[in-house]
Amino acid sequence: MAELQLQHLDKIYDNNVQAVYDFNLDVADGELIVLVGPSGCGKSTTLRMVAGLEDITHGKLLLDGRDITAAPAKDRDMAMVFQNYALYGHMTIYENMAFSLTLRRENPNVIHKKVMAAAEILDLTAQLNKKPAQLSGGQRQRVAMGRAIVRSPKVFLFDEPLSNLDAKLRGATRREILLLHKRLNATILYVTHDQTEALTLADRIVCMSMGHVQQIGTPLELYDSPDNTFVATFIGLPPMNMLDTVFEDGKLKGKGFEVSLEADEQALLAPWNGKPVILGVRPEYIAEGGDLNIRVSSNENLGMNTLVHGTIADGVRITAKFRNWMNYKNGDLVPVHFTRKLFFDPETTRAIRKEGK
Amino acid sequence: MNDDRSTELDRMRYTKNTASSRLALLAIVFDVLFFISIYKSDVKTYYYTATIGGSIIYNLVFLLAVFLCSEGVKKYQTVYSWVMIVLGILQIARIFIIPMDAHRTIIGSEPVMGNAQFIFTVACLALSAVCLFAGAVINLKKSRDLSAHLASLQA
Repeated sequence: MAELQLQHLDKIYDNNVQAVYDFNLDVADGELIVLVGPSGCGKSTTLRMVAGLEDITHGKLLLDGRDITAAPAKDRDMAMVFQNYALYGHMTIYENMAFSLTLRRENPNVIHKKVMAAAEILDLTAQLNKKPAQLSGGQRQRVAMGRAIVRSPKVFLFDEPLSNLDAKLRGATRREILLLHKRLNATILYVTHDQTEALTLADRIVCMSMGHVQQIGTPLELYDSPDNTFVATFIGLPPMNMLDTVFEDGKLKGKGFEVSLEADEQALLAPWNGKPVILGVRPEYIAEGGDLNIRVSSNENLGMNTLVHGTIADGVRITAKFRNWMNYKNGDLVPVHFTRKLFFDPETTRAIRKEGK
Repeated sequence: MNDDRSTELDRMRYTKNTASSRLALLAIVFDVLFFISIYKSDVKTYYYTATIGGSIIYNLVFLLAVFLCSEGVKKYQTVYSWVMIVLGILQIARIFIIPMDAHRTIIGSEPVMGNAQFIFTVACLALSAVCLFAGAVINLKKSRDLSAHLASLQA
């Protein structure tokens, strides 16, 4: 497997639209990196630049220290798995998986061994004589992965491979990809717009917006300590509540509500005294009981949890996630308190936190 | 059995018998060359006969049958090997119908079919037959090997 370095990558199209700005990333051997962000944020463009399907306008791409910035896609020793599987409908699964090696004119017996080994890993042995149309979406995606595996590439590139699958199949295939990663110890770049996929699969996540990298870190780092309001609201489901407040008298004061702060929080916000501060509270950081009241507008039971949507004070919308099955009615007042708070500077949108955290 | 041979046999579970299939298609090509050569002849008093009508119908049947065989042997089905052998024998038999007869028949002072055309058409039919026999034999051998391999896997 391989180490991949993306150094100051820019992508500017012919019409002068810049899709990616100064992208920097070092991918360690065997690491699974997930590029996540909303549609149009430049994640697929970055992946396509790595694959060699898009030219790199500025910057360098190194694979094991070798500069492959200008190398054609076929010489990069990378395999890409696409969202739409890209299987040949007239070929059997075996032929689809063997196709790239057949083109390279490898020994048929060697091809056979590689295909059988990949089919064994992906539990596709019984499907090898079938055509893609006879398989389910999840099986087809496994075939697409098998086609990548038989090439034994240095880097696997996945471009939203689960987007065409239904929710149940997506979960199952996601677990298979994770098992595959552990089994092959492969270096993987994985693109998705689904933050659940990112959180469950990644060793590290690259969160992107508008062509800019917003934060690079482990799933826990992005969830627990988002660098800015974009990451805070993008990672986590339901998204983090962002409440506009002003820090005064050791409290955060919003429209018709006040939030008391601990001593260390007051010390942290001391430079913002009298200034606006965005208070970030994840729905799961809201617990029942306390001096704030949510007026319920809807109650969603999810089995283990209940999502309560409502307002605090003057129409400030808020969502809480309670652990039990609740049956609040519209208009009910639910007393709550915040178990954890995050703070953001409204001017820069950056997180306010202690140095080194 | 060495590892390569074993892998080769196992590979047959998932790959088509392209050798036999292609030989069957080649047999079609030689047959087409044969009938093009016959039908472009302009000795109307000889060629506008029931023999030629029968030949045209037989060619149509032959093309369809061999094409079906080429698909059948791809899947190692032995019955198509026997059909190919029969069709091969019929191709040999055809040498003694139109080419031979036309070569012997004299209209005016010339034979209906000259030496060059006679040799060409006989060669086409013979090669067509050889392709059919070879494809059939290869398919028989491969399908037997495959059956034995599958039996050994089940054992």
